Amino acid sequence: MKVTFNWLKQYVDFSWAPEELAERLTMLGIEVEGMEKLGGQFEGIVVAQVMTCDRHPNADKLSVCRVNDGTTERQIVCGAHNFKVGDKVPLILPGRTLPTKPGEAPLTIKVGRIRGIESQGMMCSPQELGLPGEVEGLLILREDAKVGQRFAEYLGQKEADVLYDLEITPNRPDLNSIIGIAREIGALTGNPLKLPEIKLPEAGQAIQGRVAVEIADRELCPRYTARLIRGIKIAPSPDWLKTALEKIGIRSISNVVDVTNYVMMEVGQPLHAFDFNLLEKAPGDAHPAIVVRRAAEGEKFMTLDGQERTLTDPMLLIADKTKPIALAGVMGGHNSEINLETTDVLIESAYFKPQSIRATSKKLELRTESSYRFERGCDVGICDWASRRAAQLILQTAGGELARGLVDAYPQPVERKQITLRHHKVNELLGIELAPEQIENYLSQLGLKAASRKPRPVGAEAAAPAPVSFVIPTFRVDLKREVDLIEEVVRLHGVEKIPSTPPRGAVGFNPYDSVHDQLAEARRMLTGLGLFEAQGQTLVSDAAAKLAGAEPLVPLTNPLSSDMNVLRPSLLPGLLDALRHNLSRKNGDVALFELGRVFAASATSTKGSGVGQETPGVGETRRVAIALTGNRQPLFWSGADREAKFDLYDLKGLIEEFFEQFGIRGVTYSRRADSTPLFIESATIQLGKFYLGQFGQLLPALRKEYDLADAALLAELDLDVLLARRNTTKSFKPLGSFPPIRRDVAMVLPEATTHEAILQVVKQSKLAHLESVELFDVFRGKNVPAGQKSMAYAFTYRSPERTLTDAEVNAAHQDLVAHFKQRLGAAIRE
Amino acid sequence: MPEFLTQIEPVKQQALAQLSAAGDLGALEQTRVSFLGSHGKFTALLKQLGTLSKEERPMAGKALNAAKVELESALADRLSLLESRACEPKESTDFTLPGRRRVLGKFHPLTQVTEDIVRSFRKIGFAVADGPEVEDEYHCFNALNTPPDHPARDTQDTFYLFARGDRGAEDGESLLLRTHTSSVQIRVMEKQAPPVRIIVPGRVYRRDNADATHNPTFHQVEGLYVDRRVTVGDLKGTVEFVFKELMGPETRIRFRPHYFSYTEPSFEIDFSSALTRKMGKAWLEIAGCGMVHPQVLENVGYDSEEWSGWAFGFGIERIAMIRYGINNIRLFYENDVRLLRQF
Repeated sequence: MKVTFNWLKQYVDFSWAPEELAERLTMLGIEVEGMEKLGGQFEGIVVAQVMTCDRHPNADKLSVCRVNDGTTERQIVCGAHNFKVGDKVPLILPGRTLPTKPGEAPLTIKVGRIRGIESQGMMCSPQELGLPGEVEGLLILREDAKVGQRFAEYLGQKEADVLYDLEITPNRPDLNSIIGIAREIGALTGNPLKLPEIKLPEAGQAIQGRVAVEIADRELCPRYTARLIRGIKIAPSPDWLKTALEKIGIRSISNVVDVTNYVMMEVGQPLHAFDFNLLEKAPGDAHPAIVVRRAAEGEKFMTLDGQERTLTDPMLLIADKTKPIALAGVMGGHNSEINLETTDVLIESAYFKPQSIRATSKKLELRTESSYRFERGCDVGICDWASRRAAQLILQTAGGELARGLVDAYPQPVERKQITLRHHKVNELLGIELAPEQIENYLSQLGLKAASRKPRPVGAEAAAPAPVSFVIPTFRVDLKREVDLIEEVVRLHGVEKIPSTPPRGAVGFNPYDSVHDQLAEARRMLTGLGLFEAQGQTLVSDAAAKLAGAEPLVPLTNPLSSDMNVLRPSLLPGLLDALRHNLSRKNGDVALFELGRVFAASATSTKGSGVGQETPGVGETRRVAIALTGNRQPLFWSGADREAKFDLYDLKGLIEEFFEQFGIRGVTYSRRADSTPLFIESATIQLGKFYLGQFGQLLPALRKEYDLADAALLAELDLDVLLARRNTTKSFKPLGSFPPIRRDVAMVLPEATTHEAILQVVKQSKLAHLESVELFDVFRGKNVPAGQKSMAYAFTYRSPERTLTDAEVNAAHQDLVAHFKQRLGAAIRE
Repeated sequence: MPEFLTQIEPVKQQALAQLSAAGDLGALEQTRVSFLGSHGKFTALLKQLGTLSKEERPMAGKALNAAKVELESALADRLSLLESRACEPKESTDFTLPGRRRVLGKFHPLTQVTEDIVRSFRKIGFAVADGPEVEDEYHCFNALNTPPDHPARDTQDTFYLFARGDRGAEDGESLLLRTHTSSVQIRVMEKQAPPVRIIVPGRVYRRDNADATHNPTFHQVEGLYVDRRVTVGDLKGTVEFVFKELMGPETRIRFRPHYFSYTEPSFEIDFSSALTRKMGKAWLEIAGCGMVHPQVLENVGYDSEEWSGWAFGFGIERIAMIRYGINNIRLFYENDVRLLRQF
């Protein structure tokens, strides 16, 4: 909503400077989003006449003049020589500021002494005023210039004004008008609202008998008024009207149209003017009729912007007996709009149901100043006033003769709401003590009248003031219950006057609280492992989503683009995007993790310590995913493996360490026999019967598609299962104090024998004092037959009670080696 | 002097000379072997001791022993010297060279800001709560006093979902992505009797085209406190506490009346600090808040006469952008490692 300082001043008195007005409005809940000075750069500059001019006693190049500024004579020291006594020149008065050029500091003129002589202002050159002109010296004005006249006026410029761009919240449609804003200023200052006086000629023929109004749908149109003016002349608007509209960004069209717009801006009531002679009457009718009805399904109508629109029931139409003539509250019709030949005008001032206008406007994607106001709720009580105001201004600007009276179809006048206020509730909610009179005073300043005092509730303290019922004006559609009145009190009182109370009260509880900490713990571990946390988009493309698995996707019904048309079923597509982005920026080495939610279409979702809530139809689960590509180590300047790239064992090592730190034990990894849509090689991770996730190496084709230079390794784990399955119990295990004995075994095995198989053999051997088994070498090549590999293990034996003897360790170890030979066909390398 | 004794001194001198001339441990070992080894020159003298007469033997033995002690001591000294020399670095270390770095990853800047916010709230007794991102109309709008035809819905363009389920779009219960964390207010209050004191960080979604200040996905934090006799003064006190924690103790906070359908009265919160001044602004809008609308309390079955409360919410990206001077919201979602490393 745009308003100007001067326009507001027409309706209410206030003494604030433009900046203070902005501050006051903002603190009242009407946020000033922009403020622009209109004109006014010559403020404090007047037309002055040089009366005398003498040499400066102390400076050859200066003169001392006496200058008449229209009210007084001033002494001015001047350095120019292009003028003579009697010339009229622009004079800037002390305390005023020269027009500021962009990038320059403003220059304010002061009373000062120049070479010992006082100078009370400055006569200006065109350059100093920012005006074009090649003159060397002062700007010499026309001889007919009026001494004392404002220089801006001399130039024919409009008066200075300030334009405000206000943010009007959707609950306050009454503020979409100059008078609405003025009313708020009045409430704040206590000054009365000055509404324009409207006196209409009563001489014309009565409107009754000229036009009828029939409301077919009273619910969608509770009130419709019509006034008729005949014999007007369409012409350009007078300057004041043009200027008023143009200042707030409305294009001037013609006197009649401009008046409807002016009144809409003035009081917030959208009006429409029809060319009365374009209304048709039904055969046999004496006069035309306005019919307010619902559109037929598929009815076609051309709005005045020249667009043909297909309407649906229950869009509301204004029609005559033969055709629609306006889309009610949204836009007029091409067939009845005001044109240069128009002589008779019918002024519509009506109230339409907000939901209806909103639905129509939304469906047709047609937003207008009118629909904007109606859909937020206009003032059903202002229809007649607005219509009279428009009639007054049309008569003033376009002439014509007003038909006496109006047609006011208002079958069920709305009753004014009443809201009861208990004074103590105000103070309880605000946390301050306001006197009952003060509370009532704030409300009455807003135009709420105290209707009746309710009896004091039984048992209430005798001193407690009786609740008061307030009558709510029709323009305040936002006031519905007691708390709304409390808000009005705090607005006028000023929230800044409410003292802050330090945090106090109940200690909060929520079952999620500890989950939040566990998530933070997981993050800390992963960053400790050298991974950076990423945050990906929740919305991804269905193509990328399908890479991650076969779960049913959750598509958006109204996506912004095909790049973001489903909810992510996995964090991996997002991490791949992050890898691609980094590679495109030449960040070749990337190690990321993300912890976030994924979505699947299903009737159930994982519960437990997980997201914990579900909306039927969509399951939300938490996951953690890891992506690695590029160099394993930060750049170093020495060492054979400094260029080593991340491989699957780096990823597995991260996962293993994370599991161990997070309290997940007994995990098994199973290699997938085949590649997947994402991985060339991959494994699933299980914890007993629980699926924990998967990890693998990206398919070379995708690596190419994502423009990755090196292998990419990806993992994704179900965090909800991890949270539910983690074991965080900690208990002390004694530290063995007897010496360990180590035995190494290197053996040649068939390529297909897995580490897991070897561990199985060890486990089944049930060696009494075996403390640990560590693989320390895997070798293929020299001295190892093709299709086989050499694996070397270190076995550490230790007893918690005594020092083991070589003999007993050897015996146990021999058994183990025998098992390897027997069960795995191992050839022991000596 | 018997002839044998005269042989000792030259061998010893020769051995001492060679020991002190040995330049490394290998040369020293050679020298040791050539004199003290089983075929060494000095060992040969020792072996001769048995051939001497009884009279000669004590004197010769004494002399040989003294020489041996001397040689062994010289050998030990030389060994120790050469050993410690061998341990000396081949070339001196350049302490200005970069070391072998271990990488410590970092939390995403949005996570860092979220954690800071959560930490400040927890200091004053708030518990963290959570709710689904896929919501229904009821929890996201209706229960928050924003019925379907409410103009306030215009300001929050919503993503809707195709989804199966027993409540389909037909009966007005279409699924959507929550447009604000305020839906969790309802979720929590439905399950929990008052008092309630929670903080809810999470992702929210709006159907805005991506630009420097908009991403369809972003993060909010919601705070909710419901108790007996909660006042606007309490709201102010807590908001001031949290923002001073977050943005520094010299931060000033201003409340302006505003409108949200689920709070009444409602306020917008502006802050002012060195950061805003750097941006050339006296005040910068940072959050919305208000006293929980009695209708909202009634919607979850709370007695609005007995209980009152406040709620506030703000965007985490916005805080992070102001705090760190980041000018484009999309940077948060690109995950450029150069950005992640900075914070």
